[in-house]
Amino acid sequence: MSQTMQSIDIKNLTKYYRGNEKPAIDRVTLGITEGHIFGLLGPNGAGKTTMIRILCGLLTPTEGQITIGGYSLKSELAEIRKIIGVVPQEIALYQSLTAHENLAVYGGIYGLRGARLTDRIDEQLQKFGLEKSRNVQVGRFSGGMKRRLNLIVGLMHNPRILFLDEPTVGVDVQSKNVIIESLKDINQAGTTIIYTSHYLEEAEVLCTSLAIIDEGRIITQGSLDEIKKENNSTAKLEDIFLQLTGKSLRD
Amino acid sequence: MRILFRLAYKDYLVIVRDRGGLAMLFLMPLALVLIMTSLQDTTFRAINESGIKLVILNGDQDSLGTAIEQEIIRSNFFNVRHEIDNKPPTEKTIRDAVATGKFQIGMIIPAGATQHIRDQVKNNVASLFSGDSVELPPADSLIIRMYVDPATKNSMRSTLQGSIREFAARVESQIILNELTREINNHLMVPVANLNRMNRETVIYKEEYVARGDKNAIPNSAQHNVPAWTLFAMFFIVIPFASAMIKEKEDGSLSRLLTMPGSYATIMFSKILVYLVVCYLQFISIMMMGVYLFPLFGLPALEIAGKMTSLTVIAFAAALAAIGYGISVGTIARTHQQAAIFGSISVVILAAVGGIWVPVFMMPPFFRVFSSASPMNWGLNGFYDILVRNASLTDVLPYGIWLILFSLFCVLISLYYHKFRKEFA
Repeated sequence: MSQTMQSIDIKNLTKYYRGNEKPAIDRVTLGITEGHIFGLLGPNGAGKTTMIRILCGLLTPTEGQITIGGYSLKSELAEIRKIIGVVPQEIALYQSLTAHENLAVYGGIYGLRGARLTDRIDEQLQKFGLEKSRNVQVGRFSGGMKRRLNLIVGLMHNPRILFLDEPTVGVDVQSKNVIIESLKDINQAGTTIIYTSHYLEEAEVLCTSLAIIDEGRIITQGSLDEIKKENNSTAKLEDIFLQLTGKSLRD
Repeated sequence: MRILFRLAYKDYLVIVRDRGGLAMLFLMPLALVLIMTSLQDTTFRAINESGIKLVILNGDQDSLGTAIEQEIIRSNFFNVRHEIDNKPPTEKTIRDAVATGKFQIGMIIPAGATQHIRDQVKNNVASLFSGDSVELPPADSLIIRMYVDPATKNSMRSTLQGSIREFAARVESQIILNELTREINNHLMVPVANLNRMNRETVIYKEEYVARGDKNAIPNSAQHNVPAWTLFAMFFIVIPFASAMIKEKEDGSLSRLLTMPGSYATIMFSKILVYLVVCYLQFISIMMMGVYLFPLFGLPALEIAGKMTSLTVIAFAAALAAIGYGISVGTIARTHQQAAIFGSISVVILAAVGGIWVPVFMMPPFFRVFSSASPMNWGLNGFYDILVRNASLTDVLPYGIWLILFSLFCVLISLYYHKFRKEFA
């Protein structure tokens, strides 16, 4: 795969947390191809969130070089912020603001204004079935509605690269279906998606490439077929996951 | 700038939608100012308007009794009465009146007090001029009795005791000189003039309040409480401010904002803008209450005519200091509990040390040293100078500069801490 096709290029990424002798991320080298839905999977404490936080510019790596969309994370963070969208696991919304107000604030930060902003808000609310609740305070939303709105915020500026941390956790089947289908549409439109989840079946259906991380190291990566081939298995992703990461409980 | 205004709009919406928080920001300080001013008004009047009630039974009606009484009246510390329930006082009624709190001090100058001194001096002088080398007889002491309410301040008691001693000594020396003149004239062929002509004050103790503009001005309860509790209210926004920041941390909004265009400094600056307006509205509402509402409650009205520019500058500087402090607490604290407990206790300590509750001049010397370390004290001194001493904007500018520097220091600490957490967390 050529270098120009890489949406994200990670070389020798290492992260130590203060007071820990063991690295949270240990010399990871990884390329994420533009236009892919990349699934970053791993047990609790494996280093998924640390990796996503580093890629979003929320944590500074101890070592390593990262380029995102052709920009250096170290020196061009401001440019990277313009082209990425982030959907955190938490419902990162202002509960006392309405759906419209939340989207207007976040969309405005990305530079959307006037009719363009209003049109984008209307379009996204309709797409995710929230148009009737546009003027309702988010605090009164159900869990599924909040999760959908949480996703819309990350999509407001039509990002080139979208980071999703457990986007379907705790939602009903209907909401989950809307989210998954929307992610496929967004990807079809050209957005690269980096996605973490504990739902391996969901990852199996959605992702075009995967990596399994454990104890800060990438233990396997590639398309689902490549991973099965590499591990001499025809079983489901969950079986390969357990085979690679073990069955012992994680904190 | 676009990002800043979007963030500020968001912070504005978050504040106005939180009715409980709004009540805490505006109604509680107003209630606090009104209650504290009402409570302290009597004390301030006591200092300003001869408020310590003193009943006097002057049985002497001669030099000593008259001198003591006149000095007490002239001191302006006391509200002097010669009757209890429209009746001339007796020793018993004075004692009962003080015991029941009707009066804080009761004083009894016995009948013939001046004559007692006169007789004593006469005997002593005559004895000295008789040529006998006999020892002077022991003094037959004069007793001026004072009944004191235990709640009366030591300083007031000392003032009274000092006055009594001073005038007893002065009357005694007058009598001594008169008697000496008489005896000398009896013994000498050439008469001498009354020696009392020498009895002039050669050392004069003169005290005055040092003030810019209107000298001799003493703060009244409004002039102390309105600025003091305005500052307290401003600094108390540390709690909702830090809580709002921690809520953003906990629900991931802050992290999300940090992945968007803009910076931590922009996010903080938007909060500074919004809370600056909140603080200014607090300041205006408390000032207006002092000007218009206080007189309706029988409290002295706050006079701010011609002083609003200087007051506004100090208010803005104090607001910046309070917000800066809030940012540092909100950045460093990890939980609501940490922010609420540390924020509230530290603000209460800064207020106590800074002279918000008890004016600095009433504090023990040890604490006075620390008072100047509190930014609330800088703000309070600035307000005092404007309201009480008619200071100009130039005069109070140093206080404003210190407050702004404190704010900058807090913001820089927060930015550094944020960077540290990002790199080494």
